[in-house]
Amino acid sequence: MESSENRLSVKGYSYPFSAIVGQEEMKLALVLNAIEPRISGALIRGEKGTAKSTAVRALRGLLRDIEVVTGCPYSCDPDDNARLCPDCTEMIRSGRHPGIAYRRVPLINLPLNVTEEMVTGGLDMEVALSKGRRRFQPGLLAGANRGILYIDEVNLLDDHIVDIILDAASSGVNVIEREGLSSCHPSCFILTGTMNPEEGDLRPQLLDRFGLCVEVAGERDVERRVELMEMREVYDNNPGEFLSLYRRKDRQVSARIIRARRTIGEVVFPEYLPGFVSELCLQNNVAGHRADIVIKYAARALAAFECRTEVTAGDIRRVAGMALLHRRRDALPPPPATGNPERKENDTDDKKGNGGREEDNPGNRSENSNMDEKDEPDNMAEEFRTGRPETEEPADAPEDRGTPEEVFEPGSTFKVQGFKQENDRLLRRGSGRRSRTRTAEKTGRYVKSILSNRYPDIAVDATIRAAAPYQGQRKKQDGMAVSIRRDDIRRKVREKRIGNFLIFLVDASGSMGVRARMTATKGAILSLLMDAYQKRDRIAMVTFRRKEAVVNLPPTSSVELAVRHLREMPVGGRTPLADGLVKGFKLLKVHLLKEPSARPIAIIITDGRANVSSGSGAAPQDEALVTAEKMAYEERIKFVVVDTEEPGIMRFGFAAGLAAALGAEYFCTEDLKAGDLVDIVRRRL
Amino acid sequence: MEKNIVYPFSAIVGQVRMKLALILNIINPHISGVLIRGEKGTAKSTAVRALADILPMIDAVNGCPFQLLPGDEEGVCRDCGNTGCSERVIAGKPEEVIRRKVRVVELPVGATEDRVVGTMDLEHALKKGEKRFEPGILAAAHRGILYVDEINLLDDHVVDVLLDSAAMGINTVEREGVSFTHPARFTLVGTMNPEEGELRPQLLDRFGLCVGIEGIRNSSERVDVMERRIAFEDNPGGFCLKWEEESGKTAACIGAAISLYPQVKIERDKLFGIAKRCVEAGVDGHRADIITLKTARALAAWNGRSEVTDEDIDIAVELALPHRMRRLPFEEIGEPGRGTRVGV
Repeated sequence: MESSENRLSVKGYSYPFSAIVGQEEMKLALVLNAIEPRISGALIRGEKGTAKSTAVRALRGLLRDIEVVTGCPYSCDPDDNARLCPDCTEMIRSGRHPGIAYRRVPLINLPLNVTEEMVTGGLDMEVALSKGRRRFQPGLLAGANRGILYIDEVNLLDDHIVDIILDAASSGVNVIEREGLSSCHPSCFILTGTMNPEEGDLRPQLLDRFGLCVEVAGERDVERRVELMEMREVYDNNPGEFLSLYRRKDRQVSARIIRARRTIGEVVFPEYLPGFVSELCLQNNVAGHRADIVIKYAARALAAFECRTEVTAGDIRRVAGMALLHRRRDALPPPPATGNPERKENDTDDKKGNGGREEDNPGNRSENSNMDEKDEPDNMAEEFRTGRPETEEPADAPEDRGTPEEVFEPGSTFKVQGFKQENDRLLRRGSGRRSRTRTAEKTGRYVKSILSNRYPDIAVDATIRAAAPYQGQRKKQDGMAVSIRRDDIRRKVREKRIGNFLIFLVDASGSMGVRARMTATKGAILSLLMDAYQKRDRIAMVTFRRKEAVVNLPPTSSVELAVRHLREMPVGGRTPLADGLVKGFKLLKVHLLKEPSARPIAIIITDGRANVSSGSGAAPQDEALVTAEKMAYEERIKFVVVDTEEPGIMRFGFAAGLAAALGAEYFCTEDLKAGDLVDIVRRRL
Repeated sequence: MEKNIVYPFSAIVGQVRMKLALILNIINPHISGVLIRGEKGTAKSTAVRALADILPMIDAVNGCPFQLLPGDEEGVCRDCGNTGCSERVIAGKPEEVIRRKVRVVELPVGATEDRVVGTMDLEHALKKGEKRFEPGILAAAHRGILYVDEINLLDDHVVDVLLDSAAMGINTVEREGVSFTHPARFTLVGTMNPEEGELRPQLLDRFGLCVGIEGIRNSSERVDVMERRIAFEDNPGGFCLKWEEESGKTAACIGAAISLYPQVKIERDKLFGIAKRCVEAGVDGHRADIITLKTARALAAWNGRSEVTDEDIDIAVELALPHRMRRLPFEEIGEPGRGTRVGV
């Protein structure tokens, strides 16, 4: 282990920027930001292991040391009187000359588990305790001033921390009003973030705040991959030599950046170009004007970097992709090219395979269901033939042989739009990612503190800070430096995302097999499951067909298991809808008994045509509706009905009726897709 | 209290692949860990705990909460809460060096975040009115092995923290009034039972190697398992003594492999072979290539060769690629999917 340990201990060195193989766009985005900070940051999205984090860390090596006021925690620029911290302003006003020091460009790495007061800064506990004075202790936003603020896995950061950072990033100032302190200081930084879209996406609001966005992927070229492996081996085995070689290259890039910074003011932006930029933005339906501005700054930086004095249309084209990637709005889900590599693969498979599949399985319309006009009559005829639900299958058909049983492969999947329970103030237990909740256990992430002594989860830091200013007046106990009274005690507020309990009630009757509707339906369920997986939900599945409903999958968090069941699920027989509802409801009730504060979601996937009653004597359809109305009394359960009936002129709308009885949200299979959100909203109006 | 006697590593019957993966990680910690997936009762945890038996010795600063390598200050010593250390640094005295075994640190599933990353020293704050950082599990795991049993059940926010330090080898704490950064480079060893849910892809990728294990189907070996277990339970001390020689041999081999590792060469066209396989398998990113290469070299060293052979690469590919292959949405790990089969 000795030898490897030596290799590990390369102190304070980061992998050099110019030694990163490929990923030119990512490197360019970072360099442009270094030249022109007004581009306001870069977001790097991409799969695992593509040097995302390495590049951001290496960027610091390219930046020249900055001139700062000696000892200033905010790295104030002595030449820039407009952006000084309160201390430096005071110093200059009183006529003293600030000392000048050189400092490396700050690189602040924001850990995911950061607490609020560390970001904004807060009361200096030590000073408060020893001197009884309230003094502001600068936080991370202060440290990041004139430097780089780097958030790894930015999509996993807590929302309220994100809000604080956004606020500072947009105004360039951090305003503090907390713990009896009132202060503000400059906070201008290059916001860089890296993320893997597999873990979920960023809020559009934050997405827009990043000036540029680049998508990275691994090299597919074998030659480049080998080059990369060799470089890495050399770096691991003999870092000294490697570093000295690439440091030189880094210095060259660094010199170009410095020159570009000097000359950027002289770069001309020809008059015909602004029109071109706005046209590009219009074409891509971007929201707001940030894109236009960013493109302009980035294009100028690019021209300066390449030693030109005039921006060309080529520059615009090169940077426009990075500026528009995350702002483009079209039929696709917000950020394009998003999501799982698996999904991408699937999609392309789909496109390739569509023609062929149509032939061997005429009913397998992809869930887009862009039905050709000429198919319409055919489809209608079928609907007519199946007629009223009661007559769908001959009632006297022997269950065992009469109804054909089929197993359909799931259709293609898509990104589903989110649905979740509303936030409330209840404390609950659990783990997952769908809904955020305050937690009662000591397990969530400590986000902030409040005044309360009801719970044993004391926020010691906040408590001491609260008590600190009064230490002068209080009598202390032996051996203790701090005297704490009851009203100083602060409790931790913890928050975590809990997964919901999702129950799928799936109609597997013969009517679902018509025109292979089940294929599309399975595709839809698979998509919902994929969503459930990302949000770490617990799931259960009940299917109903023939005479009764069966619990195929008792509550579990293994989505894989659910998928296996789904793949193997046969279709055929009649539709005991009421029984399905009852069985599902029982499962939900048991879950609610165990966790009374849980808010489960029931997803009912059916065309709503019930034709088997569970023995009450009522007509199956009425029985189902009556059951549904009874179930609707349980307010803790949220119902979602997914109607699998194919769209067309002839629709029975039974599922819509069921949804109304349950007070459920109603979707057609095809509206589950996130991109069609607008449509859903319109329909609800 | 009597020291817990662990079941000796070399007395584990079968499970060759798991043992090999663990050994390779000891030879080169850069391989960055192994994930052991398997059913219940397949000696997963036993094997990891037994590692203590065969781990090599390292030099460390005496009393240092971060197990720092002597002479390797990394900027933490000055701010470190350990009074002895900071006094020593200020006085400019050389550190006291001890030689001890690489440690296996266990991260329990129920661990809270502040215990994992470290937090403000409560006692010190109340008594002295000063802030001091109290190192957590990640600090203890530096230069050692961090073992997480049932890693798939770990709380999500703890996983986030693990991701960060596993990737960068640095633990940054900015919470509860303390601000501290210290090195945390560890070999991450996790065990899980896939029936209870999968790992997040991002965390999965942090494991260098992945082995799937199942119960032994061979009845004579099953008998061996039972006999050895009973012998161990009846007389743990005696049992360990019996296996001491065997364990000593393994440890010696590991030691030899560690010193041979830097000399292991690989031909350039073999690198092409690795890259091609990774591309064919459709892995995400480049970690797979790098890990495969390191694993192949470690294998060669383990087998006492200074040249990587094709066979080494074959085995390395089997260990490093299965969990990185792009899977169809819910295909299970190791299950060969459409066009993603590795040519082994």
